[in-house]
Amino acid sequence: MPGNTVRILDGNTFVVSAESGDIEATPNEPTGLFSLDTRFLSTWVLTVNGERLNPLSYDDLQYYEARFFLVPGAATHYVDAKLSVVRERAVGGSFRETLTILNHDENPVELEVRMAAAADFADLFEIKDDRLSKQGEIYTEAESDRLRLGYRRGNFRRETMITSSVPAQFDQGGFAYTLHLAANEQWVAEIDVRTLTLGPGGRDLRRGLRAHGDERLALEQDLKEWIANAPQVNSEREDLTATYRRCLVDLAALRFVPFSLGGAALPAAGLPWFMTMFGRDSILTCLQVLPFTPELSKTTLQILAALQGTRFDDFREEDPGRILHEMRYGETAAFEEQPHSPYYGSVDATPLFLVLLDEYERWSGDADLVRALQVECRAALKWIDDYADLVGNGYIWYERRNTDTGLENQCWKDSWDSISYRDGTLPPFPRATCEVQGYAYDAKVRAARLAREFWDDPAFAEQLEREAADLKERFNREWWVEDGGYYALALDPDGRQCDVLSSNIGHLLWSGIVADERAPRIAEHLVGPRLFSGWGVRTLAKGEARYNPIGYHNGTIWPFDNSFVAWGLRKYGFAEEAATVASGILDAARYFDGRLPEAFGGYPRELTKFPVEYPTACTPQAWSTGAPLLLLRTMLGLEPHQGHLVVEPRLPAGMGRIEVLDIPGRWGRVDAFARGRLDLRQHGD
Amino acid sequence: MSEATTAFFKDLDRRGCEPLLMKITATVRFDLHEGAHTSHWFVRIDRGQLRVSREDRAADAVIGLSPELFEELAAGREHGIAASLRGDLTVSGDPRLFVQVERLFPGDPRSRGPRRVVEREVR
Repeated sequence: MPGNTVRILDGNTFVVSAESGDIEATPNEPTGLFSLDTRFLSTWVLTVNGERLNPLSYDDLQYYEARFFLVPGAATHYVDAKLSVVRERAVGGSFRETLTILNHDENPVELEVRMAAAADFADLFEIKDDRLSKQGEIYTEAESDRLRLGYRRGNFRRETMITSSVPAQFDQGGFAYTLHLAANEQWVAEIDVRTLTLGPGGRDLRRGLRAHGDERLALEQDLKEWIANAPQVNSEREDLTATYRRCLVDLAALRFVPFSLGGAALPAAGLPWFMTMFGRDSILTCLQVLPFTPELSKTTLQILAALQGTRFDDFREEDPGRILHEMRYGETAAFEEQPHSPYYGSVDATPLFLVLLDEYERWSGDADLVRALQVECRAALKWIDDYADLVGNGYIWYERRNTDTGLENQCWKDSWDSISYRDGTLPPFPRATCEVQGYAYDAKVRAARLAREFWDDPAFAEQLEREAADLKERFNREWWVEDGGYYALALDPDGRQCDVLSSNIGHLLWSGIVADERAPRIAEHLVGPRLFSGWGVRTLAKGEARYNPIGYHNGTIWPFDNSFVAWGLRKYGFAEEAATVASGILDAARYFDGRLPEAFGGYPRELTKFPVEYPTACTPQAWSTGAPLLLLRTMLGLEPHQGHLVVEPRLPAGMGRIEVLDIPGRWGRVDAFARGRLDLRQHGD
Repeated sequence: MSEATTAFFKDLDRRGCEPLLMKITATVRFDLHEGAHTSHWFVRIDRGQLRVSREDRAADAVIGLSPELFEELAAGREHGIAASLRGDLTVSGDPRLFVQVERLFPGDPRSRGPRRVVEREVR
């Protein structure tokens, strides 16, 4: 994307524009007004007397609103501005833009103010894959009081409806105002842009489905309540307080209200590509933020349970018991050109669903939900044992059945070249990655607790515990890379190890599948020079054939990944190593104003001095937003234990004093205090 | 023409209890529009217990579609959620109920399900 973009969003409606507020989308750039995975405005360009406007400044006031200060003329000669133009915009249900024009001259002026408006109704996937070829019909209807931009393909209809608070002349290419402004006079127009999802008979299919009211005041009130309900974090390090605040606001922004849950919200994955529900991303984000905003977990569990697979569908890769990967609402999903209605091609969401339910209960004491989801949990466990075990040796494997549009790698490192042997070659399918076996182990251990305490089924609990112990024993035998002293990234169907050193071993600590006597070796690797850059743990270790400091899953550093690595280290008692990872990532957050990107480069900290953002990373992204919160939990040692909240802080000395007030849970609200005392040795390279 | 439709509802009615709907007590009406004529299937769900009738009564969710599309859904050849995204199927009332009831439709008969490497089907 050329230049900087300004993004505002609410749920899965968002606007990405240039710093002037203008939108001039090309087929492969995610600029425009989007809702439900569809672009409802691809052109939105303001001119005054035929001249483009130049930005003096812009403010992102809140995540849902922005303000642009503009003057006519190109950047080189705007000194003579006798005219100011202010664009204030907000999303929330519809997209609203208030235009204010001020005449600073002592003489009156005649102005022709024009907004060019057009919509290509591109599906987000068409933009992502750069192949826009609409099969339906685009239409434009200019009426006396409105402009309709529409798209029709069979019964699939999307419409953009533009109206103005003051009379405008609407035509096929936009709308205009003819103004006479006296000296020092000000003119204001409010433009309303509605995105309509029309069913037969012209009814909006989304009517009445919103988490909060559409109006700005309701959004403002909602955000205030969201922040007031979350714990308060105070720290001697101001950047840490600011990062926490940024994360809370971004989490509020990323809340997404699915069509099928009547008003409750769960975290969407990230802007701009992933403003929808993802099994993996939503669950991992919920786990990260559980001590701060537990209500997201409940909703996520309910919606994922409601959409759990019930049948075999090769196109969607659905199986009974499988938890979904991704849901989409655009044209390509509707016409089955993409499988996201929903798509089930992930192997970690299902065990992670069980992990989240148990963790949520330990914090909230919500036994009702555990009882209500018993059927779904049993189905998920059956999926792990039966349908996911493609080799028949007790591990979770994947091999896509949708060979056309399905995902090759159905683990979190889902790019095509993320799984390799040490020589860099890629293994055949089916593949099994290590972290997923860890999740399965954890899922069984946790489900055993649920069976014993809530489902009144001690026999099932014992069976699950036996299976988990057996899995741990086999895993430690078959996945250990002898000459490296770590676990293989993956196995191929012949049982051969993908013997590279990767960040995935940190997830193994988190899951508890690591044999105690091997944990010190794993901890050593995680903060050692091959994996740890000084900022964080690389996805793939330096020295591996496919290592590349800006390789998407082959060397970059993912804040979310690191937050689980730190949690895992802490679980096995490596508090100092956990604090090392946490400090690195929280230091990096400073360079992004508290908003960690999806990934940044794996260059040594000493070399670059600042973290290098991965080029096309999504931001804000839910699990990057959740990372600082999980790191706080990890450093403070927050752990529910027998109905109480245990606080065992292990903070690095540089962190100073941190207090987290009003941590919600089954204990009501509890405060945690900590002071940095750990002296961290120099780790990494 | 409407064989799969009739068989689908007969089967629901005979099934008695559907574990997938154990958490639900509600009514759902399917309106099958054919020109000016609309035929109705009324499903009462009482914590998973199902009863089907042909009544035209107020329901918590009303799902409108063509008899042809329903026939395809009942045979697993079309997908309910994709059809609703296309606008070929409309839901008024509580959309959650549609998502739950949609799971009662069978999978695509052409789907083979997961396959083990030794070519033994898992399903």
